[in-house]
Amino acid sequence: MILAKQNLAPLLESMANGRDVFVPAVVDGVAKFARYGEGVEPAFDLVNTTMPPKDLLFPQTQKMYHYDVDANGSYRIYEYDESREQVVLGIRPCDMRSIVCLDEVFLTKGFVDEFYANAREKLLCVSIGCAQAAETCFCESMGIDPQLAPNADIMLQDCGDAFNVIAQTEKGEAEVARWESYLEQGEAQPVACDQSLKVSMDGVVDKLEGMYDHPIWENLSIKCLNCGTCTYVCPTCHCFDISQENRRKDGVRFRCWDSCMFSEYTAMAGGHNPRPEKLERVRNRFMHKLNFFERRYGMSLCVGCGRCVEKCPVALDITRLIDEIGATNA
Amino acid sequence: MTAQDAIRQRAKELLESGEVATFIGWEAGRFHNQTTPLVITDAADADKLVFNEYCVNTLAKYARDVVARGKVGLVVRGCDSRAIVRMIIDQVIKREDVYLIGVACPGMKDRKTDELLKKCAECRHGNPVECDELIGEAGEWPIPEGRFAEVAEIEAMAQPERSRYFESVYAKCIRCYACRDVCPCCTCRECFVDQRRENWVGKQNNVAENRFYGLTRVMHIGDRCIECGECERVCPMDLPLMKLNRKVIQDLNNLFGEFESSLSIDDSVEPLIAYDLNDREEFM
Repeated sequence: MILAKQNLAPLLESMANGRDVFVPAVVDGVAKFARYGEGVEPAFDLVNTTMPPKDLLFPQTQKMYHYDVDANGSYRIYEYDESREQVVLGIRPCDMRSIVCLDEVFLTKGFVDEFYANAREKLLCVSIGCAQAAETCFCESMGIDPQLAPNADIMLQDCGDAFNVIAQTEKGEAEVARWESYLEQGEAQPVACDQSLKVSMDGVVDKLEGMYDHPIWENLSIKCLNCGTCTYVCPTCHCFDISQENRRKDGVRFRCWDSCMFSEYTAMAGGHNPRPEKLERVRNRFMHKLNFFERRYGMSLCVGCGRCVEKCPVALDITRLIDEIGATNA
Repeated sequence: MTAQDAIRQRAKELLESGEVATFIGWEAGRFHNQTTPLVITDAADADKLVFNEYCVNTLAKYARDVVARGKVGLVVRGCDSRAIVRMIIDQVIKREDVYLIGVACPGMKDRKTDELLKKCAECRHGNPVECDELIGEAGEWPIPEGRFAEVAEIEAMAQPERSRYFESVYAKCIRCYACRDVCPCCTCRECFVDQRRENWVGKQNNVAENRFYGLTRVMHIGDRCIECGECERVCPMDLPLMKLNRKVIQDLNNLFGEFESSLSIDDSVEPLIAYDLNDREEFM
């Protein structure tokens, strides 16, 4: 089936009727996935948003429960579940791959994170393929086809004037069935996405096995500011901290994004810090992206979206690191 | 000889002679119009150094990180040299810890737009204010007008428009702390936001906590801000951070007379640190 591009706006309008639909948009100067509505102009031609879509499943701050003590001294706990039916329209294949990674973390290996699971269950993903790449895009090098997102409920391949509409799940099929009046029969040719930034992951995972004490980390970490920019704009970074705010007789427990770049992240009760310096923290972040996650889940934790390459204040560039690792004789 | 060649040559000589243990400059980045900070210890790496109109990073803060290894050589323009002066006055480093190779700043470009960076367009001192040697000659650097133009825009807003404006600003903050980490004035051994037991700032991301962080930082930097504009440049959310820094400077000017921080190691003590019986005290 084909969706002519001029039908995308009316389709979005119909989808947003009674549902929260998130679209790429620039809001107050920040490109992110914003709830479609007044003041939110969809920007489907944005190659990538500055903020990743992960907050749809894993908000930067998420209330978990609140508690209070009644007059008799008994505790009461009130659980939160703020998950609701959501649609994301215009999510890119790299960001869809990031959701594969998040699913692994939050839903597998014998532990299910209920907050994530509830939000995930209620999220319908409509991916739009990329007809053009940003200078910092390198998803192809990370094994992603910029016109394919296999885990999206619906894939819209960019074919120039129209999209190929491919329902890929039951949920997606049910949704596409409601789109009938906007669709036409046929199939078009997806536009080839020309990516100029390329890196080779050949041998990188294996080489890193022997590179824990390699001088590469020293050279890399020395320029790092240890800010959290890369981790917060990363679609796959998923570390969080659980904390609480107490008032007199009540309080709230919440979790919020945390960053392995912060010294306080690994600080332990008693004062010990197993990653005391930049070197240990920078090494951990890149090892996690390119090796640890691969060993645990069989996939890279970098999807090649290029956000960290774009936003790092000191241009500490993961693509250059991958090249450097590839060039070592480890 | 170009400034870049001269920097390479001097870095090589300084490292070879052992006069410095490390040398800090810039190297080429992944993209042709990009550089990234470079710290070298081996004279053989001096040829990696570049100097061009995309050297956007102010380098001085790295001196703090590597000073334990011995004397640090670095390239300084106006902003870098003022940052070094700042860190010397704040006793983060000593003057003898650094060897400063001055170079007149040509003004740096934003690689996205290829236009002069905002921080460079607003900069008042392109030439180094402190150095051990100068490569080439000092350049012409007229002081731009409108230092407080952005402050005036805010001041022209009525309440509650101004409140709404700052709410929208701090709603965007993701608290990555890049502004703090790049700032040459932010050299506390432990930042108040990292003091979890005291919990000055809660970890929740919301306007109240974000604004508390931002305003506390502004007030803490206060009269020490060198107006390098790095905080604003690095902010991934493009928050207009210099507006508040300049508001504080404007207030200082009004209260204590024209003032500009960190122009010389022998600067008189900053107004908020100095005590004078004649200080204005209309707020008491």
